[in-house]
Amino acid sequence: MSSAVTGRSRRGAASRRVPYLFLAPAIVLFTLFVVLPIGYAIYLSLRKVKVSGLGLGRNSRKEIFAGLENYRDALSDPELWSSAGRVLAYGAILLPIMLGLALLFALLLDRPRVGLARFSRLAIFLPYAVPGLIASMLWGFLYLPAVSPFTNLAEWLGLPAPDPLTGDSVLFAIVNIAVWGGVGFNMIVLFTSLRAIPAEIYESARLDGCTEFQLAVRIKIPLLLPSLIMTTVFSLIATLQVFTEPLTVRSLTNSISSTWTPLMKIYSDAFAQNDIYSAAATSVLIAGVTLVISFGFLRLVQRQAFGGENR
Amino acid sequence: MRAKFGAKLLAVVLAAGLSAACTSSDSGDEDQPAQPGGKVELSFWSWAPNIDKTVDAWNAANPDIHVTLSKQAGGGDIVTKLLTAAKAGNPPDLAQVEYQSLPTLVSNDVLADIAKDAEPAKAKFAEGVWQQVTLGTEAVYAIPQDSGPMMLYYRADLFDKLGLTVPKTWDEFAQTARTVRQKDPKKFLTTFSANDPGWFTGLAQQAGAAWWGIDGESWKVSVNDAATRKVADYWGALVNEGVIDGKPMYTPAWNKALNDGTLIAWPSAIWAPGVLEGNAPATKGRWAMAPMPQWAAGENRTGSWGGSSTGVTAAGRNKAAAVRFATWMNTDPAATDLLIKESAIYPAARDAQASPLLHTPPAFFAQQKDFYAEAKAIADTAVGFVWGPNVNVAYDTYKDAFGKAITGKTPFSGAVDTMQSATVADMRKNGFTVTG
Amino acid sequence: MTTLTSAVPARSDLDPGTPRRRVRTRTAWLPTAVLLIGAVYCLLPVAWVVAAATKSGSSLFTTFTFAPGGDLLGNLADLSTYGGGVYWRWLANSLLYAGVGGVASAFVSGLSGYTLAKFRFAGRNVIFNVLLAGVLVPGVTLAIPQYLLLAEVGLTDTYWSVLLPSIISPYGIYLARIYAAAAVPDTVMEAARTDGAGELRIFGRVALPMMMPGLVTVFLFQFVAIWNNFLLPFVMISSDGRFPVTVGLFTLLNQGQTVPALYSVVIIGVLVSILPLIALFLTLQRYWRLDLVSGAVKG
Repeated sequence: MSSAVTGRSRRGAASRRVPYLFLAPAIVLFTLFVVLPIGYAIYLSLRKVKVSGLGLGRNSRKEIFAGLENYRDALSDPELWSSAGRVLAYGAILLPIMLGLALLFALLLDRPRVGLARFSRLAIFLPYAVPGLIASMLWGFLYLPAVSPFTNLAEWLGLPAPDPLTGDSVLFAIVNIAVWGGVGFNMIVLFTSLRAIPAEIYESARLDGCTEFQLAVRIKIPLLLPSLIMTTVFSLIATLQVFTEPLTVRSLTNSISSTWTPLMKIYSDAFAQNDIYSAAATSVLIAGVTLVISFGFLRLVQRQAFGGENR
Repeated sequence: MRAKFGAKLLAVVLAAGLSAACTSSDSGDEDQPAQPGGKVELSFWSWAPNIDKTVDAWNAANPDIHVTLSKQAGGGDIVTKLLTAAKAGNPPDLAQVEYQSLPTLVSNDVLADIAKDAEPAKAKFAEGVWQQVTLGTEAVYAIPQDSGPMMLYYRADLFDKLGLTVPKTWDEFAQTARTVRQKDPKKFLTTFSANDPGWFTGLAQQAGAAWWGIDGESWKVSVNDAATRKVADYWGALVNEGVIDGKPMYTPAWNKALNDGTLIAWPSAIWAPGVLEGNAPATKGRWAMAPMPQWAAGENRTGSWGGSSTGVTAAGRNKAAAVRFATWMNTDPAATDLLIKESAIYPAARDAQASPLLHTPPAFFAQQKDFYAEAKAIADTAVGFVWGPNVNVAYDTYKDAFGKAITGKTPFSGAVDTMQSATVADMRKNGFTVTG
Repeated sequence: MTTLTSAVPARSDLDPGTPRRRVRTRTAWLPTAVLLIGAVYCLLPVAWVVAAATKSGSSLFTTFTFAPGGDLLGNLADLSTYGGGVYWRWLANSLLYAGVGGVASAFVSGLSGYTLAKFRFAGRNVIFNVLLAGVLVPGVTLAIPQYLLLAEVGLTDTYWSVLLPSIISPYGIYLARIYAAAAVPDTVMEAARTDGAGELRIFGRVALPMMMPGLVTVFLFQFVAIWNNFLLPFVMISSDGRFPVTVGLFTLLNQGQTVPALYSVVIIGVLVSILPLIALFLTLQRYWRLDLVSGAVKG
């Protein structure tokens, strides 16, 4: 029962053009600001600069074709591989914590007889309004032992002052910023999905003597599954692109290198070392990896969201 | 460089689609060609605080050459943006550039050789300073603005309280660092920052480091020369011993440490009073300045940290007018006094250093009457330094390598070796002729 | 396909406890406590910035973190006078970028989503998949090529250079497609066609109003995304008069070695910059259609 315009012969060629006309603005903008830049990045990734002699005279620097040299350099760079591993570890810690908390909060908010629910919901959602750059700055202030209130707290308890920015714990420090920034948004997504479930479903279960906990585990979570999958996928994509938080916190610690995540390496190549050719090659590689992930993602999206309409 | 494909296509599409829209916007004020006999428009990128006051003064006095200022984030960011803007063909006419970035920009054809127009300015600067903007060649790439000779700042009150004397040599400095820890385990003499390559470079310069050199038609690179390794291992030993802190500078924690006396000394540069005043206003009058500790008793040398110049870009349409502005800003007493007063800049021009404004010490050091006289004497002992075309790579590697050395408690000379190999590898990759 | 008109308004008002949930006999303490702990965790950095905004530069890092000071108004005055009031310019720029960009993005997304959901045509899935794959391209990889390409037509350092790339939102198109499929019944479109209405008219007069709650959501998403974006304006804009507030605050924080970071000005600036977003959320809260993010609209 889809409104297949194509079926209507009396409207003819004119109406057949309509969808393309309607899509034109998006396609033109997408071409100009996504496709062309990607093409340009691929072009740049195959180039490099060739300096002659001291490189100080005029025109002593030429851009030449480099073949796959930039790709070879990127792939043989151990920093890139270790940063990729770090992001995987980061995601493995972040996703369960963030989505687990979001699910927990959403289920609790959906429970009857919860006090101050409106306040809690708004408070937990609030970090969504804070840009990543600023969130990292704020947490940075809270992390530095010298200025952190946790130091006062630890002193009061007679414990050593925590220093989340040293050694391996810096990974958790970055995870925490991402959890803080993401839990509220995901909670609202899940909560809204819960509210969309007709309440009648629960009533009979409650009459059967189901506890709220059993209700959550047996009925709500299974019904939430599609939403959970979608939030997971979108969070996963954001995770692979982690960048702002470690870049901002980096100036406060010795424990975050300029190539801490793959995107930071691109940033460092392009903005600190002014080598846009290597940056372009690494970008293309990362885009390729995400594209592979995207195939699975797209199939998932299609089955979850658009199965109906295509029938 | 022009893109062969894509860009042209985009140009056509965008020009067709948007030309009407953008001419009606306020964005049309860019890239104005100079009308003959008309007003010349110059754009100027800088990060110096309150430099708009100096620009305003110029605009008031020169109705025919109008300068528009764009404030930028800082010396590192400006280089990236200049390179990108120059690659795209629309850099500003003038830009504030740190000395160490000049070779990078020259090598990328961003800066113009202004030797002809800048000739009159040459006599106003000390030879060593002028050398920094010529890169030792016949060309001139910028007009010097400020310099950053290094000196030792310390909390005079806390030195007294702890019974410390101002260290004259680095050996004494190390001993002082240990004494501080013994007398008050909460305090450190100072910190070693893995975030500030310019600071370390200044320390290495003092010891006689020569990271880049030109030997005929090839570059000689020796970031890990004996002097640099000596400096690195000196600090590495103290940090690993736990008598010098290893936390970065310019963080809120550092800010607090300066405020509450956790850090009681700071090897810094001439511009430090402004930073101390901004970060630790409550410690006013408690700091004092002394020459840097020396590597051998009786020596008298220092390095430089910071300092910048005003460059004129090769793509600019009104280079002569741009040089006139840059020369005025950095040598005319009216301008340099504004820079001293409003932007807290220690001018590079010799006459400007004798300005009446510099007869009285900075307000933050009011008790040190001869502050600027002593500073001038120290400035004269600053050693020269040749910067290479990829200081950015060396500096970027510094942060990672020293950060790793501090957290891993490994010898700092290893970090210097990493800097050397990264710097040489980058130059070779780009095709520079490199020896050594 | 299930008809969604009935499912959409089901219980999805975001206010628990309003309609028929007032059966509470006593508060469930454990869930309340857990939620409050979550709230405190999320408010902690915000409380910090509020407390810090009331402190003078010298007491910022020397007094106890959450102890308020009495310099809020002084800090506000410093912020207003900094650079001749350039901060307010940045805030206005951010509103312009995010507001205009958000509206344009919502419109383009709405039109595209409606078309993708309601028309059948050759290449539909290809177009949709390619557009959606745009979600996967990180902004960092695009920023420099976008800059170089825009420079070819002399558009860098203009409002356009930030606005135009912000209009296209794969995520927005995705959401609008879900919402259009759910909220615009085929029968209504058929009826309008039978009346002889043109397709543009059907979209503008019939579909667009029906999709409005969904488009408000797309607008809010894109508004927040543009407002929070740092890298694109950082690369594109070199005149400080055209900075958005994120880039402006970044320059305040990174003044270079010779100038101390203006922490107290930055902190009050951060606080003020968060307020418009909070106000926006509170006003538009009832239009939030977040359930469409998860496809739950399908019912």
